[in-house]
Formats: sequence, C-alpha cells, structure tokens
Amino acid sequence: MPREIITLQVGQCGNQIGMEFWKQLCLEHGISKEGILEDFATQGGDRKDVFFYQADDQHYIPRALLMDLEPRVINGIQNGEYRNLYNHENVFIADHGGGAGNNWASGYHQGKQYEEDLMDMIDREADGSDSLEGFVLCHSIAGGTGSGMGSYLLETLNDRYSKKLVQTYSVFPNQNETSDVVVQPYNSLLTLKRLTLNADCVVVLDNTALNRIAVERLHITTPTFTQTNSLVSTVMSASTTTLRYPGYMNNDLVGLLASLIPTPRCHFLMTGYTPLTVERQANVIRKTTVLDVMRRLLQTKNIMVSSYARTKEASQAKYISILNIIQGEVDPTQVALSRKSPYVQTAHRVSGLMLASHTGIRHLFSKCLTQYDKLRKRQAFLDNYRNHPTFADNDLSEFDESRDVIESLVDEYKACESPDYIKWGMEDPDHALTGEGNASGTIDPKLSL
Amino acid sequence: MTPSISPNEAAMVESIKRNLATQGKSSDALTFADLYTKFSSKIGPGSVKNKWAVLYLLKTVSEDRINQKNMPSNAPANAFLSSLSRGGLPELGLRNDSNLEGYKDNCKDLRGSVGNLGKMEKGYSDNSKDFRGLVGTLGKMEKGYTDNSKDLRGLMGKLGKMEKGCSDGNVSDDFRSSSNLKDYRGKGYSDGNVSDDLRNLSCGGDVSRVLKGKGEVGKGWSGGVLMVSKDSENLRHMAYKEFVDLWKEENEVSEDVLVRDVLYSCQGIDGKYVKYDKNEDGYVLPDWMKVPRATRNVVRKLCELGWLFRKVKGYISESMNQFPAQDVGTVGQAFCAALQDELSEYYKLLAVLEGQAMNPIPLGSEGECSGNYMSFRRLSVWFAEPIVKMRLMAVLVDNCKSLKGGAMAGAIHMHAQHGDPLVNDFMKRLLRRVCSPLFEMVRRWVLEGELEDIFSEFFIVSQPVKDESLWREGYRLHAAMLPAFISQSLAKQILRTGKSINFLRVCCDDRGWADAATEAAAAVGTTTTRGSLGYGETDALESLVTEAAKRIDKHLLELMHKRYKFKEHCLAIKRYLLLGQGDFVQYLMDIVGPELSEPANTISSFKLATLLESAITSSNAQYDGCDIRARLRVKMMPHKTGDRGWDVFSLEYDAGVPLNTVFTESVMTRYIRVFNFLWKLRRVEHALTGTWKTMKPNCITSHFFSKLPQAVKLQLILTSRKCQVLWDEMNHFVSNLQYYIMFEVLEVSWSNLVKEMELSKDLDDLLAAHEKYLSSILEKSLLGERSQELNKTLFVLFDLILRFRSLADRLYEGINELQSRTAEVKSRGKSNDKSSEPGSWLGEGRKALTQRAGEFFKNMGNDIDVIGKDYTTIFEGFISKLPVQQHIDLKFLMFRLNFTEFYSQLQPIIRGKLF
Repeated sequence: MPREIITLQVGQCGNQIGMEFWKQLCLEHGISKEGILEDFATQGGDRKDVFFYQADDQHYIPRALLMDLEPRVINGIQNGEYRNLYNHENVFIADHGGGAGNNWASGYHQGKQYEEDLMDMIDREADGSDSLEGFVLCHSIAGGTGSGMGSYLLETLNDRYSKKLVQTYSVFPNQNETSDVVVQPYNSLLTLKRLTLNADCVVVLDNTALNRIAVERLHITTPTFTQTNSLVSTVMSASTTTLRYPGYMNNDLVGLLASLIPTPRCHFLMTGYTPLTVERQANVIRKTTVLDVMRRLLQTKNIMVSSYARTKEASQAKYISILNIIQGEVDPTQVALSRKSPYVQTAHRVSGLMLASHTGIRHLFSKCLTQYDKLRKRQAFLDNYRNHPTFADNDLSEFDESRDVIESLVDEYKACESPDYIKWGMEDPDHALTGEGNASGTIDPKLSL
Repeated sequence: MTPSISPNEAAMVESIKRNLATQGKSSDALTFADLYTKFSSKIGPGSVKNKWAVLYLLKTVSEDRINQKNMPSNAPANAFLSSLSRGGLPELGLRNDSNLEGYKDNCKDLRGSVGNLGKMEKGYSDNSKDFRGLVGTLGKMEKGYTDNSKDLRGLMGKLGKMEKGCSDGNVSDDFRSSSNLKDYRGKGYSDGNVSDDLRNLSCGGDVSRVLKGKGEVGKGWSGGVLMVSKDSENLRHMAYKEFVDLWKEENEVSEDVLVRDVLYSCQGIDGKYVKYDKNEDGYVLPDWMKVPRATRNVVRKLCELGWLFRKVKGYISESMNQFPAQDVGTVGQAFCAALQDELSEYYKLLAVLEGQAMNPIPLGSEGECSGNYMSFRRLSVWFAEPIVKMRLMAVLVDNCKSLKGGAMAGAIHMHAQHGDPLVNDFMKRLLRRVCSPLFEMVRRWVLEGELEDIFSEFFIVSQPVKDESLWREGYRLHAAMLPAFISQSLAKQILRTGKSINFLRVCCDDRGWADAATEAAAAVGTTTTRGSLGYGETDALESLVTEAAKRIDKHLLELMHKRYKFKEHCLAIKRYLLLGQGDFVQYLMDIVGPELSEPANTISSFKLATLLESAITSSNAQYDGCDIRARLRVKMMPHKTGDRGWDVFSLEYDAGVPLNTVFTESVMTRYIRVFNFLWKLRRVEHALTGTWKTMKPNCITSHFFSKLPQAVKLQLILTSRKCQVLWDEMNHFVSNLQYYIMFEVLEVSWSNLVKEMELSKDLDDLLAAHEKYLSSILEKSLLGERSQELNKTLFVLFDLILRFRSLADRLYEGINELQSRTAEVKSRGKSNDKSSEPGSWLGEGRKALTQRAGEFFKNMGNDIDVIGKDYTTIFEGFISKLPVQQHIDLKFLMFRLNFTEFYSQLQPIIRGKLF
C-alpha cells in the first residue's frame, strides 16, 4: 500500500512544470528516459510506487494524466526525449485542439463537456492503485485551460473522491509585467474560489517571485519558462521527498499536510528553496551548513511568493506553520533530515525546502482582488464569458460569489495575525465564550527542526 | 638492663670495701682501694669512661657468686648473666668491657671480686696500649664483637693455635688492621664456605689479645697476684689445660656430641640428647642434663632450624600425600616441589657440615686433646643463611597452608616484596617455580581458550550457562585467586581474550581465531607451546596478552560485523521495532488496526503474523534480505481481561545466535517497551491525521457556503471550529513529541551508536555502546525510572486523544448525515413544488431538522468541551512536570512544545519554572 498519488497536469503551464517534475523524479529514482530502471539504481530505500507504477514489462510509468485543450505542449512532450515514459492512454487533448483562448469559462465549459473522457482516465488510474492517497494538480490560474478546466476538475474530484486529498501546485501570473492575457484577473479570481473551496492544499508558485529569484538570485537577465519551470520542479520534487523516501515521520501526504494546515481555509502554502541552481548548473558554490540553509529559507528573497504587503503590514504577518525539509550530508545530531537520492549529484552539501503557511500570502489575494475590481468596474472583457453557460444571461453572480469567497479568505488570514483568532468565526451571541475556550486555541508555528 | 641504683662511683667503692672488710678480707680491701685509686686516675683517651659501671658489674658478679653458692638458683642473677652472655648491657656504654665481662663470665673465671678486680686492673693497666688500639678499632669491630662474643667459647678451643700466633707477635700487627679483618669476614659470609684462612683468622686479633689476658687471668687465679710477664710456652699450656679441664668439669656432654645432635635435629631427627620436645615445641636439651645455660640456649637457638625444617618438611609431605585426592592444586604442587628443591640444597649443606663435624681440628702438637672442628659458634655462622631461608619457607608454609592457586602465588608474591636481596632472590626463584602452572594456564587461556583448572586455582572461573549468556555470565574473575602481580586491568584483558576465543568457538563456530592467536604469539616472540612465560616477566605476559587480545578482538569484531552483520541487525531493529521504516509501520497500522480493536483474547496471533507478512511484502521492507525479514515476529504479551489488541500487540526481533549475546532477552524486553510506547504514539498520531482527513479543508470550507438554514450553519461552524481548535492543540503536542522522538531521541542515539561502534575495539565495547544507545532511548523517551509519572500522564493524554478521535468521527458523521438529509429535504421540496402541493410538512421537515441538528451540535459541543477541558488540565500538568525532570534532553521537548511561548504566557505562575 504505497499511498499512491496521481498527478494531473492541466493546460500549457501545468504540462510544462509537470514534465520538469517527472524529469526530476526519474533522475532521483534512477529511472531512464524510457522508464527502465538504470543499472546503477540498486540502492533501495526509495518508494517509486508512490508516483510510478510498473507495467508488465517492468517499465516504470508515471501516475500522470496529461490534459490540455490544445496539442502544442503535449505534442512537444510526445516528441521529446521522455516520450516513452508516459502512458499514452493517459494523454488527453481536445479533439478540436483550439484551446480555451485564455478564457476561464471556456476551459470550464470544455471540462464539463469532456467530463466523461477525463473521469474515465482518472478512474482508471485510481482503480490501478491500492490505496490512493490523493491527487496533485499542476496548473496555472491565469490562462484558460489550467484555470478553467482545472477548476472544473477540482469540483469534480471533490465530489467524486471526497475522501481523497487534493493538492495543487498553482502558478500565479506575473503581475509585474503587462500580460498578453488581459483577462488574467478574472481567471485568477474564478480559479481561486475553487482553490479555496475544493482543494486541500495549494502550493502557491508565484511567477513574479520566480522571475525575481531567477534575476536576482541566479543572475539570469531574461529567464525563460524552462528556467523558471525547473525551479518549480525542484520545489515539487523536494516537497515529495518524505513520501518517496520513507522515514520515521511524514511518510504520507496526510501526515505532511495535517500539521501544516491547522486551519482548514488557510491552506495556501508558500515555498522557499535554497541553494537554487538552474538546469543543474551550480553557478556559485557556497559553503552550506544546516544553520545557513535554515536561515536563508526564512529570507523573503528566497521565497517563491512575492509579498505585496506594505512594510507595516508585512511586519505583522505571521507564520502559521513551517516545515523545513533539509537534505544532504548532515550530522544527524544536528538535525535529522529526509534522505536524498543517491543518484543525483549536487554541488551543495545541504539543501533545504521550506513549506510554510504564512499570513503574508493574503496580500497576493488582495492584489488579485484589486486587479479584478479594476477590470470589473469597467465591465471590460466580460463578453467572452457571457458566451459560456455559467455566465449565460448576463449572470455574473459567479464573479461576485468568488469575490466574496476570496474576500473572506483574506479576512481570515488577517484574523490569523491577531491573538484573538481563536474566537474568530465562533462569534455567536448564543454561545458566550468561556475563559478556557480562549485558552485552548493554538496558532503555533511548528518548526520542524 | 639498667641498674636501679644511681651511678654513684664513690659509694660503690665504699660498699665494696666495706663488703670485703666485713668478710674479713681486710688486706683485700686495702688492695682494692689501692687499685681503685690507680683505676680512677686513668683519665684520657683509652681509659674506661664509665668507671662506676665497671665497679658495679664487678660487685654484682661477686655478689652473684656468693649468692649462687648459697642459693643454687637465683633467677635475677641468672637473667643478668644470660643477658651478659648475649652481649647485653649496651646501655652501660662499655662495649669493650661487656665483651670482656661476657668473656670472663663464660670462662667461669670470676672467683672473687677482689681477684677479679685486680686481674682486671692489671689487664687494663698492662695492656693499656693494646687497649687504646683496641678502643680505636672498636667502632669498626663492634659487630664482630657482638657476633664473636658468642663464638668465644669455640675460640677457646683454638687457644693453642692462637697462643702460637701471639707468640709470634706478628699476628697482632696483622690483626690491628681492621680493614683486613673486615674483608675476611665479609668474604667468609658471602661465600658461605669458610676457607681455611678464615677459619684461622675468623676472630681477629683482638680476641687473641684478650686471650692473652686470659692466660694471665688463668695464672692469676691461685694467688690473686698479677703476673705481668710475657708467658712462657709452659705457662700458657698449663693455663690452657686448666681451662679445658674446667670446661669439661662443667659440661657433662662434650660440645662435639652436642654439635652432632644439633646437626641431626636440623634434619628433623632426634639426637642423642637433643630431642624434640612437644611441650616446648622445639628441640631442647633435656632438663636433667648438666650443661650451662648458655649452651642450652645456643642449642636451642641452633635447633630453631630443625624446628623450621620440621614444619616445612611436614607441609611438603602432607600435601604430597594429599595429592591428588585433595585439592592441593598444581600451584600447591609446584610450591612443594620448589620447597623440596630448596630442602635438597639444605641437605647438601648439612651433609658437608656433618662431614666437617667428624674432623677434629688439626693441632700443631699431637696427642693433645683438641676441640671439635665444628663448634656451636661455627654452626651458627653456617646456619645464618639457611635459617633465613628456612624461616622464609616456614612463614610461607604458614601463610599458604590454607591457600591455593592464584591466591597462593599472590601470597608468596607479597612476601617477595622485600628489600633484602637475599630474600628477594630466594623468593623470586621460588615464585618462578610456583607460578609456572599459573602462567601456563594464562597462556593456554589466552591463546587457546582452554580453561584447564581442575583444582579451581585460576583467577578465571567458568560457569555452565546457555550459549546466549556465555559472554555476559560464562566467565568471571575470581578476585581471591588473582595474584597481586597481575593487575586488575590485565586480568580483565586476559579474561576477555579467553572469553572471546570461547565465544568464537561456542557461539560462532569459528576456527579463524587460532590463526589470530598464532599470529599474536609470533608477534610477541613466544611460542604457542607450553612453558614460555614465568614470574617476573610481567611485561612479556602483558605484551602477549595485549597482542592476543588485539588480534582476537579484531577477529571477533570482524566476524560480528561481516558474518553476523551486527550493524545491519541494529538498523533492522531500529527500522522495525523503533518504527524507523515509516511505510511499513503505516501499512501495518492500517491493516492490523481493525484487528487490534477487538478484545485481546479473541485475537489470533496467527492472523496477525499473516498481516505482518503482508505488511512486509507491500512496503519497502520487502527489499530487506529474508535473513532480516524472517526474524521479525509478532509477539502477543500476556493480556488481562478487558485488554484490547492494542494493549498486547508488539513486534519482536529474533537476533539469533550469536547476536543474542547483545540482544539478550532483557534487552529485547526493553526494546519492546520502547516499541509499545512508539506504537502507541504512532497510533495516536494516526488517529489524529485520520481525524484531519475527515475534516480536511475541502470538506469543511464548503460548509461555510452550504445552503443550510442559517442557525444550523452557525452551529455547525461553531462546533466544527471547536473541534478544529482542540485538534490543533492535540496535534501540536503529538507531532512535536514525534519530532522530538525522531530528532532528539532516535537519530541522535543512533548516530552516537554508529560512532561508538566504529571506535569499539572489542565485544565489550560493542555491548557497552549498544547498552548506552538503548538506555539513552529509554531515558529520553520518558520510559526511564525517573519519569514514570510523566509517562503515566502521557498515556492519559493519549487516551484522551483517542476518545477525541471517536468523538470527532461522530461529529462528522452527523454533519454528513445532516447534509444528505438537507439535500433530501430540498429535493423533496422541489418535487413537492413540482407536484404543486404547497408542502406544509416541508416547513416542518426543516424545523425538525433544525431542531435535531441544534440538539446534536449542542451535545457534541458539550462533549468536545469536556474533553478539551480534561485535556487542557492534564496537559498543563504534563508541561509543568517537564522542567522538573533532570534529563537535559527533555528541555528540548519543552522548547519544542513551547516554541511560541504560548504555554508560558498561559500560566505565568509556572513560567518561572520553565525558563
């Protein structure tokens, strides 16, 4: 019972980061591009069956579903060097191949349209696993397919696999540059609603921050998608190490997430990784120690979510929980750490990943809200949405509802920063809070050191 | 012997004069007075200093004579005499005089005080020159004198010869050089065989001079007239004859007979006269014999040797007879043999002496009666050395009678710690013999692992034990049998080395150690055959033992690591019994869980074993060698009524021979205790994550926006939030406890173990490292003696959490039911709508639902409150007890739990204690 995890890669961005993720996993587990275990990969101890399963001919096949409404990226994968890795039955490309046109509603609607095909694939994968732990969804929230179809998938999974975990790696759009997708704020808002309501854990990957890191930390003047995606894949693989290399603790996704997410709605995690390299090129090799790595992980410049907070607000932001996954050659008396793949050579002795629930993330959502408000005030670009069933008859209540959900989420995060958070949401005139009710609450940053 | 009277010289003179006068010897009195004035006028170097003492002595002597005539036995006087004969009166500061007195006393020439005095004075005045020289040499001669004073009697026998020497007049010159004399004496003593030269000269010129005096004395007896001329041959001869006659008169038995008797008795045989007296416990002359007391004493003294011999001989024959029936032991036997050797040396000496005793002294003039060659004096010189040895042997015999083996060797060794080189050498020789069986045992033990010790003499004893406890209990040091020349640490090393060999042989069925032993022996340069070591070569022994230990330990460790994979098994125990293999544990928990919720007596351990098997095969444990997998078993502990499967289930790891030396039963019991604790903790954690899963975000958050009636929704949110908050608190505690267990307890201890394992040089080190590892885990995970109370509290908390889990399950079941009911109602409502029947019962349905839900949430809320309250109280107790613990690592637990200082803010009272 390996507690399998099925990965859903939706849309252009989702497939790109998914591909990088599988590349990384193959490297770490010693699986060749063809899916065959390399000769040197004899050192056991890893659990490949969480993310892979073995075909009859001993090929390792990723539990991955590749979905897109346009063929470009997936074709790229299917013609790439990893083409034999994936199960071809697990690839879904819409017949017309027209994509979603960066329209959430279009993606959502097409998702509904292809529900049967999609769910067939998901069911098949789910049936193939002994004890399915949950799903991981890779997508971006700005475009059409990843956000729209992804949202639809989230709703469906929540409905159909309500007992299973749903974790997403959601790429937030770069808000510093003027995007070619003008309806980004609409798409983001609508997707965020689903992420808030229908996902158990959202790992926020902020393109703004990823670019900033690439420029500032890696000294790449114009970072490419491949480069930023490799950052994402590093984070994704690092955050799953405890699942793939079993140890005393955090052997399953539930255990990992349960402590990270003490409050159900505040399930947006931000990540930090250090030391960062791109395409496995160590640019500057530094001396890394555990203390060093842990200190750097807490620096905002290493965190892959940009903070739009003003200084005053930023100083009030709190960590709700932190999980540091430290890998490398470390004296276990100093810190016990999760194991590291023996097949991948790294230039650094110690590397660390931070998964944290931080209240500062609300500013990201606030920013989304303000951008949405700007567009909405002008009633701009709404016509594209009205063409689709959800918004038919000029029914824009979905937007309003989403806005409410996000706003209340921001409120809750804000409440988390105050010591009275325990009382928050319990304010019911009929039930006067007693003293010890006050005392029993916790907002404890959990430091996994 | 100090005179009780004050040394008043004048008074003494007066009293003598008065005495003489009262006895009617007025002329004598006058002579005395005259002599005294002469005597007292002699002042200056060479004169008698303590004149009073001389007078006192003379007076006492004369008085004694008188008394003795009147009363045959006068004890104090006798005592005084005997003390004189022994050369006593040292306090008088009259060494030369005392010698003279002793001499005179022995010669029995003190007839009258006046005569004596006269003679004395004469002698003094006459020989004043000689005296001066004499006094000069006195300091050097002192010892010679005291010793020789005893021999004087014997020397009398050689008088003739001496006389001759004297007449030559050269001898005295020769003898005046005391250094010569000393040389001779020294030579004589050290050689042990007295050369003819020495025999001639042994007593020195002073004696000859004294003898000259004697001659005069002899002459002076008759009339008290002093004859100061140089003696003619005749006169001397006459004097000598007279003396011998006198001598014979007094002694019933001649000296040579007694000497022979003494020689006999020294071989443990009763002589003609000298017999063993049981009452006296010694060889004595019979009381009826008329011999001077001095002779008696001398005989007694000389026969001490006989007495000692008897003792030693007795011991030897006794133990020889006992062997092998009684446990004399090999060491005892060796001791006897060594003694026997010494005795045969002694026999040789006696034989020589006996031969000598037959020979008369060859005298210059024939037909003259001469003394025997062997005199008492000579004997005592001869016996000086043997008696020292014999005494030593007797002491050893006395001390070692009841001892055996190593203890005996140790006792003898203690006696060997002596400054006297003679004693030291003798003891070393003896010990070499005595210890050889012991060293042989050590050699065999260290190189071959054989413990051949039928008499239990060795300082290592074996006990018949099971193979698994061979190492710990099979052999131990027997402190009483450990001789002092083998240090405690060396003994321990010896013990371990042999033990290692035996362990290899018995438990590991290994033969490789023989090579290691041969190598070790070769490295030290000894052979593996017997008899290469001896007493005094402690260094060699130590290096042999060290070499052997080094090699054999290395071999043993190699075997443990390579063939028996000690580290792998330790790791396996860590992974399975200490739950390090997370996926395996998780899977086991999943599939065994439902089974374990049953009452303990209904659970079949057979079924559990099957489940364990499937847990192994479906986790990464399947990649472990079957060697390890096969050792993992389910163990059901004895259960009480009402126990659930959870309470009795545990895993067991069968390390097998020879690793069960490390993983003994008691060690495994402790492992199982740790397992039970970790298993419980894991179960609680499992329960909590299970709860989280039922209330995971996408289930909960949707409720916030579900279309329930407002009141119900509020209550739902409130209750679930309560539940959430309590869950958070519990999870915070449990997960931090888990992190603490992982980081501070298991991993740290493990890395220490690995480090120490690498450093360990022998199995004992390995055992110690493992012991430290296990006890640090026990201690730190609150299973130690000192934290029993904390542990109890912890388990109460665990039970509360498990109760909470079922409560939360009920709550969410209720919520789900409610939701589905609501949906039902709604759909019915819709259908009702469609059937256009304005449903009044729809309202009722809603109302009832709301009411029911309200009640449900109220009850659940109360239950959660109750549990929360209990939990908080107990947890506060736990937290407050933590700092009281002595163990430093619990500070880390405290630090983890209270990272945000939430708890210390909560209770400012206990805050002081916390930080």
